[in-house]
Amino acid sequence: MVEVTELTKTYQDLKAGQFVALDRVSFHVAPGEIFGLLGPNGAGKTTALRILSTVLKPTSGSARVAGFDVNHHPNEVRHSIGFVSNNTAMYERMTAWEFVEYFGKLYGIEAEQLERRMHNIFSDLQMLDIRDVVGAKMSTGMKQKVSIARAIIHDPPVLVFDEPSLGLDVLVARALLKIIGQLRDAGKCIIFSTHIMREVERLCDRVAILYHGRILATGTLAELADRYHETDFEELFFTALAESDQQQVQLNGSLGHSHERDSFSPTTSECL
Amino acid sequence: MNWRHVNLIYMRELTDQLRDRRTVFTITVLPLLLYPLIGMLMMQVAQFNKRQAANVRIVGLDNWPSELPLLDKRNKPILHPGMIDVSEWMNFESQPWPTIDGEFSWEQMLTAARTDIASDKIDAVLFVEPGFEQELRSRLTVAAAGTTGSGSAILNDADSAGITPLSTQESVVEHVGVKPSSDGLQVIANLARDNSRIAQERIGVLLDSWRAAWVSSQLASAGMSPRLIEPFTVDATDTATESVKSAVLWTKILPMVMLVWALTGAFYPAIDLCAGEKERGTLETLLSSPARRAEIVWGKLFTVITFSVSSAVLNLLSMHFTASFVVRKLLLSGIPDLAETLGPLPIQAVGWLLLLLLPMAAFFSALALAIAALARSTKEGQYYLMPLLLVTLPLVSLPMLPSMSLNLGTSLIPVTGTVFLIRSLIEGRYFEAFIYLPTVVLVTACCCGLSIRWAIKQFESETVMFRESERWNLKLLLHHLWRDREDTASTASALLAGAIILVSIFFAQLAAGSFVSGWSGIASSTFIVQVLLILTPCLLMSVYLTRSPRRALRIHRVQFSHVIAALGLGVAVHPTYSALGYAIQQLYEIGPETQQLLAKFQHMVGSQPLWAVLMILAALPALCEELAFRGFIFGGLLRSGGALRAIVVTSLLFGFAHPVLQQSIAAALMGLFLGLIAWRTGGVICTIVVHLINNTLSVSMAWMAMNHFEPPAALSWAVYSQDSSWTYTPTWSTLSVLLALTLTFILMRRDTQTQRTVQAEMA
Ligand SMILES: Nc1ncnc2c1ncn2[C@@H]1O[C@H](COP(=O)(O)OP(=O)(O)OP(=O)(O)O)[C@@H](O)[C@H]1O
Ligand SMILES: [Mg+2]
Repeated sequence: MVEVTELTKTYQDLKAGQFVALDRVSFHVAPGEIFGLLGPNGAGKTTALRILSTVLKPTSGSARVAGFDVNHHPNEVRHSIGFVSNNTAMYERMTAWEFVEYFGKLYGIEAEQLERRMHNIFSDLQMLDIRDVVGAKMSTGMKQKVSIARAIIHDPPVLVFDEPSLGLDVLVARALLKIIGQLRDAGKCIIFSTHIMREVERLCDRVAILYHGRILATGTLAELADRYHETDFEELFFTALAESDQQQVQLNGSLGHSHERDSFSPTTSECL
Repeated sequence: MNWRHVNLIYMRELTDQLRDRRTVFTITVLPLLLYPLIGMLMMQVAQFNKRQAANVRIVGLDNWPSELPLLDKRNKPILHPGMIDVSEWMNFESQPWPTIDGEFSWEQMLTAARTDIASDKIDAVLFVEPGFEQELRSRLTVAAAGTTGSGSAILNDADSAGITPLSTQESVVEHVGVKPSSDGLQVIANLARDNSRIAQERIGVLLDSWRAAWVSSQLASAGMSPRLIEPFTVDATDTATESVKSAVLWTKILPMVMLVWALTGAFYPAIDLCAGEKERGTLETLLSSPARRAEIVWGKLFTVITFSVSSAVLNLLSMHFTASFVVRKLLLSGIPDLAETLGPLPIQAVGWLLLLLLPMAAFFSALALAIAALARSTKEGQYYLMPLLLVTLPLVSLPMLPSMSLNLGTSLIPVTGTVFLIRSLIEGRYFEAFIYLPTVVLVTACCCGLSIRWAIKQFESETVMFRESERWNLKLLLHHLWRDREDTASTASALLAGAIILVSIFFAQLAAGSFVSGWSGIASSTFIVQVLLILTPCLLMSVYLTRSPRRALRIHRVQFSHVIAALGLGVAVHPTYSALGYAIQQLYEIGPETQQLLAKFQHMVGSQPLWAVLMILAALPALCEELAFRGFIFGGLLRSGGALRAIVVTSLLFGFAHPVLQQSIAAALMGLFLGLIAWRTGGVICTIVVHLINNTLSVSMAWMAMNHFEPPAALSWAVYSQDSSWTYTPTWSTLSVLLALTLTFILMRRDTQTQRTVQAEMA
């Protein structure tokens, strides 16, 4: 359903120069599966998910969503994906109902069908009581629910959640994870980024550990436990990061001093 | 483009803005309240002004000719036939002239007047000396005797008054010392104080009017007709229709007011729609929706246009209604002159103004949207309004200059041309408007198209949409520039180089003035401008900001066929270039001063050896300008596929780098052509060749003509001598166009290597 191959993204950054936020990242996700993208702050999770939702363009490499390439068919990709992130806020002067309706219309859903779907979604997510509340007056939890409603209004096969439990209390976060679980059971292909281990353990079928723009390991929780000889997932995560840091130090030692991890140089052909 | 998306986005943004109290207030409520409030204030001030009558003290009213008294017993002015009634503007008090044996001296009177004026008790003092009437009469007789001068009479007056001689009849500012009087009248006022100055002016009016009455009465008593002093009057007929006349002021002011409001009305919603959305984090939601970037831009653009138009219309209407209300008041209170100029705007004028508004609102909105997209936050966005206003205000207010009118030249200026066109339409000069309609429409359409394109580009640019607030300081920036320099110039450094060149040329011109002394002056100033101001910045930047100065200056090997074609093209395009220069001079006439200067310049050049002239005026500029404009700057602007941008911007910079307007236009047009060549041939060599040959031909033909050479007989089919200048024959002029087109066609064709070079440059 989602196939990411050798995805690389560099940012132009004043301080660090060419900054590699994603370094040849590859993974794939099947329908009915929750794929956890696990990484500390600044690992590049948001960058990867933004590329999947075609908001950003990759520097190199490719990503296919529901069979469409993000580079060549961004519009088809956007129709097959629902994107929820803490950067996809809702409009302050719009009610929940209007907000979801607006996106439903943008997706080109027929009025009748849209009405039906919205009723279903609003009752499924237990949002009927907030349907006429404007964004400015909503709590973080309510907003997150509205965002999910917005993301699933067009019934996309792929859903992308970027740290959806950020700022939610335990109760609401629990409810949210339950919703995501239900969506998986409905056969959706779900990518879920977080840095909270418990969520990964509870929810994810397969995990990738992302660190400094690189994938350190991919696999089911059992496979990872095998590989790092560690059953506690939090410990496992730290082991993986520490191992990577050590390798990096060794690499730097052998290459001489260089704090730039992998400097990206644009290939300008010498043709004269 | 899915217009359903555009419509959805438009409707949403519109309702969203309308739900925002601030927007609704600034767009609708503010103009509806603002102008009535201003109007009220104006009325108040006007009333205040009127009540403020000047207080004038007359010392020695008893010395006034009793035959035609100035004031009555109650100190009210007497209206003799033909006099102006000043009783509403002036209050009088009178003091008798001090007697000889009183202790009062002139100095004392002056001091008293001074203190009273200073303490605001009185605004001005008029002294009527005892000899005034006598002097007046002596004038009559002396004038009759045919001699001038009246010295003795004054001395007598002074003696009889027992004070120091007085100075002339009117205005002596306080600090001016005492001078011998000639006519026996003197006004004391303090011109630094408004009240006092007004009082003095009004005394002047009163005295002028009394003087006319006096002359008339004297003429009458001498048995002559008072008409003698004004033997005839002229009847004037105004051909302006009533509606046009009342619209005169409006047609000047309203377009400007309306356009300024259209701009500000566009700007604030634009900031909210771009920077505001970024700030609130909703932009990414929209970007991840099915709407394409272009659709988002169009949707937002229509929203901004809506607010721009309604803001301008509401302001216009509110201002107009207020004005007509104020006008009625003014009429009632008896100031019909002012009232007439503010008369109601004819209905068709309103229509034309709205027609002007639509394209301009579209243009401003797209501009505001693109600029607002740059901002990371609303606060940052607000800062961008000022530069935008600084650029557009001159364009909007240019038509208010009295000497400007609609012609081909002005019709080509964005915004200004449109304002002129609308003014012609309002004033009913439909034919004139019709002639310039195509150019104005074309220019406006280009501006709209380019600014919309720019806005869409902004929305497609990741760096603009996802700019993080970075820590920023000069050291970081310099470090970044050095560390991350690439093979060729970046777009930013290219624009910076262009700006540096223009600014330094501007200051160099200011410093040098327009005066260049002799050939050495010409040579050294050309050298300074070309080498130091144009080439050096680009050289330095290519050394310090890029990894390969040669590539940054675009010194690439080029196709041999291209060089040959360029050689021919230099020759073939020159007749067209000369014709173009001539046409531009017809269009925008060169001022007499500049013309004189150019003639002097020609003369100085003509007396030098040809090789020196060619080196300095042909070769040097060709090399320096091409390396800078079609080299470094062009390369930077070519990055990330901006061929059109590179061609247009470098030609504009190239144009502005020339001091005389007519040269600028010709250079800018030539710059477009050179830019095309620079892009197709993938380097700077060919444009150097074309530029060099073009310059060489211009300079040497002028030089030959100056030195009275005849064109060689072998070239008689192409060049002939006329009025001591060399001119191309019509045959060759026509043929050369065909040849130039053919050669351009050859230049357009790239081989694979050139193709690769250009692709690498545009990456
Ligand atoms: N527009 C940008 N310009 C420059 N650098 C950026 C930009 N966006 C992100 N980065 C950098 O790229 C790196 C990865 O960022 P990203 O947001 O993908 O991380 P993340 O894994 O989502 O982190 P977090 O857990 O904090 O959300 C960070 O170091 C960030 O500073
Ligand atoms: Mg993130």
